[in-house]
Amino acid sequence: MTIGSGSVVESVEAPEARTERARLTPEEAAALARRAGLEELGVRPGLLGYAREVWSYRHLVWHLSSAQAWATNQNNYLGQLWAVLNPLLLVGSYYLIFGLLLKTRGGTSNYIAFLTIGIFVFGYSASAIIAGSRAVVGQIGLVRALRFPRAVLPISVTLTQFLVNVPAFAVLMVMIPLTGEPFSPHWLLFPVALVFQSLINLGLAFYLARVVNTARDSANLVPVGVRLARYVSGVFFSIPHYAGYGLVSALLLYQPLAVSMTTAREALMDQYPLTWGSWVAAAAWGVALSVTGIVFFWRGEGRYGSN
Amino acid sequence: MGATDVADTTTPSVVCSGLDIVYTVFGAKQKGTDTGGQVPLVERLLTKRNPVSSVRKVHAVKDVSFVVNHGEAVGIIGRNGSGKSTLLRAVAGLMPPTNGRVWASGRPSLLGVNAVLLTGLTGAKNVMIGGLALGLTPRQVRERYDDIVDFSGIGDFVNLPMSAYSSGMGARLRFAISTAAAPDILMIDEALATGDAEFQARSRDRIAEIRRDASTVFLVSHSNAAIRESCDRVLWMEQGRLVMDGPTDEVVRAYEQSHRRAPA
Repeated sequence: MTIGSGSVVESVEAPEARTERARLTPEEAAALARRAGLEELGVRPGLLGYAREVWSYRHLVWHLSSAQAWATNQNNYLGQLWAVLNPLLLVGSYYLIFGLLLKTRGGTSNYIAFLTIGIFVFGYSASAIIAGSRAVVGQIGLVRALRFPRAVLPISVTLTQFLVNVPAFAVLMVMIPLTGEPFSPHWLLFPVALVFQSLINLGLAFYLARVVNTARDSANLVPVGVRLARYVSGVFFSIPHYAGYGLVSALLLYQPLAVSMTTAREALMDQYPLTWGSWVAAAAWGVALSVTGIVFFWRGEGRYGSN
Repeated sequence: MGATDVADTTTPSVVCSGLDIVYTVFGAKQKGTDTGGQVPLVERLLTKRNPVSSVRKVHAVKDVSFVVNHGEAVGIIGRNGSGKSTLLRAVAGLMPPTNGRVWASGRPSLLGVNAVLLTGLTGAKNVMIGGLALGLTPRQVRERYDDIVDFSGIGDFVNLPMSAYSSGMGARLRFAISTAAAPDILMIDEALATGDAEFQARSRDRIAEIRRDASTVFLVSHSNAAIRESCDRVLWMEQGRLVMDGPTDEVVRAYEQSHRRAPA
């Protein structure tokens, strides 16, 4: 290109601005957009910029989560009461099967407390994982209508499930002393255990939401995986008592879902003293999964809802 | 630059260059069109067209380029399936380009045929969530809440879940939400067709107001009368291609003549 060509383009441009029909080359289009200060669409922002953008939508996250959580139990007559009744009925039926019929109470001194914590804590992860995997494909109406960083969706789904489970956690705090557990300052650590668990759930939601958006069929495997996890994570039996203290037992004990239950039991039950191992494992899983999860999710930004 | 002394209304708000969009559709397998009878099973399983899956690629928009300025109202016409809605979604930043590039100013707001955001939630919650997603603060949404509900004219229904709304009511509320945020680019995809005559008149006034604020309006409609009333420029899409781009009268007339020549 010679210097002279610039002036040629310039002189052609003025009438063109009026007609616009003449087709621009990609370079001319890019130059025109830059001059007008336009933003290119469908381009993924940098990771830090993305995180900042997500933060600017925090009000949307909160309103979306609280509204969805409230709507969860709205379409039946007893309404919000179900948030408490459901986990209680679940504890009753599990106690009947595993406590009285199959007798998996080995190694536990207070089986009802053990079982209740297992069911309520695992129930939160189970519902968050299933809802998280559908965070994008399940809210396609929102994705197709409005432009916002899609990471808002897995975050809000995880928060929704936390809010839905708050009544269950309140019931748990009432039930624990009723089962004969002595009051302890360690109980104050229960919310900390829930924070680590929520980070684990959030990380899994980031991963699964993108995988399910890319390969729809994988959504069918998520409930199967959750069911399998329910039976191997020590919801209704003590892992060391039945699997010993070998490698298999350690793998079962320190996977993220089992660790969430261990920390909750250490916080609430007299039989389980606090151990560094489980709390460090829970924190490490939570941070590792949610940080790598958002990076994984961010790499798919721009492709969500495109089919 | 010579461009600086040009008035605000001739600076571009959307630049679209060589846009191609190919998307995947699930559940699109056609029954009875399979020629499987003559082909051996093993060969059928090995061919590219997987007979088990029902996934299809649709090339919805092919090499479309245009420039739209601030304050312009652009109609998009064409037969069903000509790529109008897909084009609009790409310009709204909701669908990534397969090839080519799109630039736009500010936050585009798309009003689609499916007006409902979250069916299970009340209209009031939808106002809040829609407003926040359009970039308003919670305080701004609360300030504009009464205006939004008044404009939509849905009255007490605002406290019922949107699943109880008629399609017209849903569209009215969505229109009120979308225009409350004073978008730089407003895109309306057939969303006004379900409203009654009175609401259509009010929404026309609102569109004119938005254009006066130097925003750009895109309107997809099968009603040539609505296009003539609101738009001064029209894009005519045919099988994913942009076949004509010009003043409303010229393009709509050519489009109507093409009907007569080759009835679809």
